[in-house]
Amino acid sequence: MKVLIPVDGSAAANRAVEHVIASVAWLKEVPQIHLLNVQWKLASGNVKLFINQDTINDYYREQGMAALVDARTKLDAAGLVYSYHVAIGTPAEAIVQAAQEQQVDQIVVSAHGQGTLSNMLLGSVASKVAHLATIPVLLVK
Amino acid sequence: MLEMFQSPQFWVDVFKIIMIDLLLSGDNAVVIALACRNLPEAQRKKGIMYGVGGAIGLRIVLTFFAVSLLAMPYLKLVGALLLLWIGIKLILPEEEHGEGNIKAETHLWGAIKTIIIADFVMSLDNVIGVAAAAKGNVGLLVFGLLVSIPLIAWSSQLVLKLIDRYPFIIYAGGALLGYVAGEMLVTEVALKPVMDAYHYLHWLAPAACALFVLAMGWWLAQRMARKIPAVHLVDVDAKHDKS
Repeated sequence: MKVLIPVDGSAAANRAVEHVIASVAWLKEVPQIHLLNVQWKLASGNVKLFINQDTINDYYREQGMAALVDARTKLDAAGLVYSYHVAIGTPAEAIVQAAQEQQVDQIVVSAHGQGTLSNMLLGSVASKVAHLATIPVLLVK
Repeated sequence: MLEMFQSPQFWVDVFKIIMIDLLLSGDNAVVIALACRNLPEAQRKKGIMYGVGGAIGLRIVLTFFAVSLLAMPYLKLVGALLLLWIGIKLILPEEEHGEGNIKAETHLWGAIKTIIIADFVMSLDNVIGVAAAAKGNVGLLVFGLLVSIPLIAWSSQLVLKLIDRYPFIIYAGGALLGYVAGEMLVTEVALKPVMDAYHYLHWLAPAACALFVLAMGWWLAQRMARKIPAVHLVDVDAKHDKS
């Protein structure tokens, strides 16, 4: 089984990682784990006229890797094998796209990511993923 | 000055200016943050501070210019047409530009230069919009700028997230720009005889311009509707040699 775990670096989002680690004990085979962080595409067309692409990519990479650190530490500690990815785009869409590309069987996502206030105003990425995905989505509370 | 804050019209105009600033300044904020990335740690904060300061200053000067230019006959007509186009462009999905061959600045003044030049080039749409919405009221103009620029610099993701959640914001912004264009049109000196003869044009023109931007924007967006796929920057596969 392949699972995709999208994380944004927040402790709340990492609960999805904890859930997968805990579930290994009762699963028949150890799942293939894909970690994903999506960075908002901040630099649009016009920005590229003034800032070179390497600088922009370095920024995304740095932010993305920082968001993955906690999740990776947890998986390393549990001795699990995983692959990790940083994508640039709109989070929910990019998560569903990655799930299709990697042909995962399930998306395991935390119901709440960064920030309570922005969750209230903006709705969570999780609900949008659940809406868009064509494969099972596990919401971790 | 204090009376200004008490009139409802003031707050309506402030809302217009902040909305225009928020929707049209995102790129500038991103440039400010990214231009300073390659600076030595100690200079980064300084670069951002000077950059934001310079950008606000430049914006105020440019808007003053725009306001005084707009007092000349026929220029409001040109400004209104530009605004209609800016409104439609806001609704359309972003075009991808090719990457230029740009050197990363590693010196403080180089970074500041990049910020200021980018601001000069990218704030034209914003300046015209704000000049039209402020209708020559300088206090209003500066107030709007002082509220919105730090807001953008503080969270450049804010606007992206809001638009993702509430896509109609982009249409509301387009309609607002159309409305402001219409308001500018009816105060054009060259059109004064017409406006005086048909007084209903004072509300009809702004409404018609807002509708025009919505309709054009919607129609063109339908024609070019396409999804921009997410790009993977880092792909590290599972390490199978792990025991």
